[in-house]
Amino acid sequence: MIISRLILEDVLAVAMSTGADFAEVYAERTRNNGIRFLNGKIDTANDGVTSGVGIRAFIGTRTVYATTTDITRSGLIRCARAVADALGESNAQVQIHLTERIFPNIHPVKILPGSTPMQTRTDILKSACFAASERDEKIKQVMGSLASVDHTILIANSEGLYTSDRHVRTRIAVQAVASDGHENQSGSASPGRGTGLEMFDFIDPKSVGIKAADQALVNLRADYCPAGQMTVAIENGFGGVIFHEACGHSLEATSVGTGTSQMCGKLGQKIANEKVTAIDDGTIPGAWGSVNIDDEGHVTQRNVLIENGVLKSYMIDRLGSRRMGMEMTGNGRRESFMYEPTSRMTNTFIANGPDKNEDIISSIEYGLYAKSMGGGSVNPLTGEFNFGVSEGYIIRNGVICEPVRGASLVGTGSQILMDIDMVGQNLETAQGMCGSSSGSVPTDVGQPLIRVSKITVGGR
Amino acid sequence: MDFKQIKEIISAACTKYGVEEYEVTYSVGENISAETLKDEISAFSSGESASVSFRCIVNGHMGYASTSYFDADEIEDLVIRASDNARAIENDDVVVIFKGSESYGTPTAPAPEAIDAAELKNKALELQKKTYAADSSVVDGTQSIAISFRDEIYMYNSHGLELSNKVGMTGCYVEAVVNKDGESRNNFEFAESIHGEKFDELPAKAVNGALEKIGATEIPTGKYNVVIDGSQMRSILSAFSPSFSAKNAILGMSLLAGKEGEKIASDIVNITDDAMREGCPVQTPFDEEGVATYKKSVVENGVLKTLLYDLTTAIKTGKQTTANGRRGGNIAPYNFAINAGEDTLEGLFAKAGDGIYVTGVKGLHAGANAITGDFSVESEGFLIKDGKKAGPIKSFTVAGNFFALLKSIDSLSNEVKWGIPGGFTVFGAPDVLVKDMSVAGK
Repeated sequence: MIISRLILEDVLAVAMSTGADFAEVYAERTRNNGIRFLNGKIDTANDGVTSGVGIRAFIGTRTVYATTTDITRSGLIRCARAVADALGESNAQVQIHLTERIFPNIHPVKILPGSTPMQTRTDILKSACFAASERDEKIKQVMGSLASVDHTILIANSEGLYTSDRHVRTRIAVQAVASDGHENQSGSASPGRGTGLEMFDFIDPKSVGIKAADQALVNLRADYCPAGQMTVAIENGFGGVIFHEACGHSLEATSVGTGTSQMCGKLGQKIANEKVTAIDDGTIPGAWGSVNIDDEGHVTQRNVLIENGVLKSYMIDRLGSRRMGMEMTGNGRRESFMYEPTSRMTNTFIANGPDKNEDIISSIEYGLYAKSMGGGSVNPLTGEFNFGVSEGYIIRNGVICEPVRGASLVGTGSQILMDIDMVGQNLETAQGMCGSSSGSVPTDVGQPLIRVSKITVGGR
Repeated sequence: MDFKQIKEIISAACTKYGVEEYEVTYSVGENISAETLKDEISAFSSGESASVSFRCIVNGHMGYASTSYFDADEIEDLVIRASDNARAIENDDVVVIFKGSESYGTPTAPAPEAIDAAELKNKALELQKKTYAADSSVVDGTQSIAISFRDEIYMYNSHGLELSNKVGMTGCYVEAVVNKDGESRNNFEFAESIHGEKFDELPAKAVNGALEKIGATEIPTGKYNVVIDGSQMRSILSAFSPSFSAKNAILGMSLLAGKEGEKIASDIVNITDDAMREGCPVQTPFDEEGVATYKKSVVENGVLKTLLYDLTTAIKTGKQTTANGRRGGNIAPYNFAINAGEDTLEGLFAKAGDGIYVTGVKGLHAGANAITGDFSVESEGFLIKDGKKAGPIKSFTVAGNFFALLKSIDSLSNEVKWGIPGGFTVFGAPDVLVKDMSVAGK
């Protein structure tokens, strides 16, 4: 344990001393290792340790949060005092007793990246990057990175919880730039897992480099995407970013609990086409967005958000639970101790549907096949979203034709959910880092191939 | 543990492990933020943080390690970890620990004030109250936030160079949410102070901005004369700023490679980088390699005068560093802006005749490709009719290429709109008029 039980009992008592009805200490020690490949060589190697504590207290739905990197007893007491002083003026005598609890570990790690020889890691990264540069002579530049995070957390709260967890994640990323002498185009691939280096037992690093190179080459021969409203088929994997952005954020208590989500008050209502079932599941073993417990010490769970088009659940953290009068769902997450936790997604995806993939493509007379999506953003109030297509093709008469580049998909969440009128059967997830008020956290997005009957395509 | 103790541990460890060239940076900061919802403080946070970054040259390569865990063994371990990292590096960069510049500037920004938690809370509540009072259409979800931070940086290296700097800022945000005729719209405004005119004007500005968006219509796809508000132009500049890095140019990842001395923008475009900009709350007299910063013309009358260099890229190309080195071998600008022109915003509308005025772009991180210059971003704004600002428009996408955009800038307004500092980097731009841009609408 990073901090002893007896110190934490005193710290929580100080945090509660001005009338708080709940207090919590979150401590972390995180080791980040990263190596970068550039211009055919290992270019940088970094190693950082983040250590610190965040103390939070509530009176009702009012919260106070204070952080410190001074984890001595006196530093922690000073931090707890700052919380108490900011929260209230009353004087309360509180006795805290913490009982240690150990939750089951469903994400075992075989090869802890930080403890392997540097050579093992540089070999993996080089294998991926050289596969990209050797793919075609038009590939002029390859950048790659291999990063791992070894994250130990401790959570203690005034309900008596005292527990810790350790979470390891690993990610490789390759970006390839193709050039024909006149212009440059890029492609990328970046798989990650909530495991150690054993992820490369299942994912050949070479395949990552090849995927990035092929995407760059396709974009090099692509012309600009025409703009306008179209029928769009969005492929599996990172295509799921559409649901993440257009709907997922609107189902977080962060926006629902403050009344700023288009999804407020819609439980039990039909909000999507009946072919759409969507799930947030933090329990998938070894998945990128999985954790044993969330950053408030609540076990993660499988939450069915939308079932056959009907809204079934929100994603709720502790504060959201108080605001909304609903149970927590194991979605309280944060990037680090620097951030107060809030409701966040884990692994969020649209489940397989009734349609055959080939039927989806053949149903489109003229439209866009978005094979690979880039990132995006959304305004949770209005549900307006925008995201980039990193590899796209025109569909003509039910056949995938020439590649197009520079496209983006623009729409509103409520509308697109209704307009998803075909859902295929090749569910796959992909990895992302999701940014919100509690920082950047790893999340999986996913879906099978889907068809959106009409959406605005930005191009030129 | 203070910086003196850290230096002693590092220095002893470097002697022990035979590391001769190194640099250690110690950062310590504090921050406070008060947020409101409805009529009360809904969240209050404060933080104290400290961290140590260490880098050293081993076998001709630079290795890095950092920590915020203040324990003597951990601090000593930084030397071992950074040395191991240096040994893994294979590039042929010439790396140096800098001996020091002849002189360093003195920040003109007032020394950061001590943060008063009670005052911040009161200011956030005052803003929130005024925002609700500004119009009857203001609804819950409206939020006012006051923030303050102070950072101190101390740098020491094996040549005996010692530098330090203190920066800080207090400011506030209002996100107004309005509901009128069943339609919800929000608008976000920021002020770099919690006093004075800009603070007083913030609630009305936020609310009016949200109200103006009510009843937005969609526009047909086509070519339009576009006035891009400075607040949005600076976001576009920010998204493509990596193109100005000499490192990216050397790696073939910037279309500005080899363009120094050439025309890259229309005659009226001037771009300046100035780490000590008057009025900037985060002025820095030295970059993260310890080199004295200075004001430089990056683009002058449309001609690219220089890219941004650190010591390593300067050595590689036989140039001088422009003092834009950042930790970890990165290069970034400080106060990076397109300079003001001569027109007023209204003057730009008049020149545009009929067209659109873009006041919001979204998804630049996804819809902009810094390598190719291509962008395609969801936007909101207003119509321009007969040379005047008209009704609101939404859900259209502006697409183009940044480098083509620079060349086709027709006119600039006479005021640079500066953004919110992100670390030591701030972007700014005036309003710009660009003719015949592609816009995708309904």
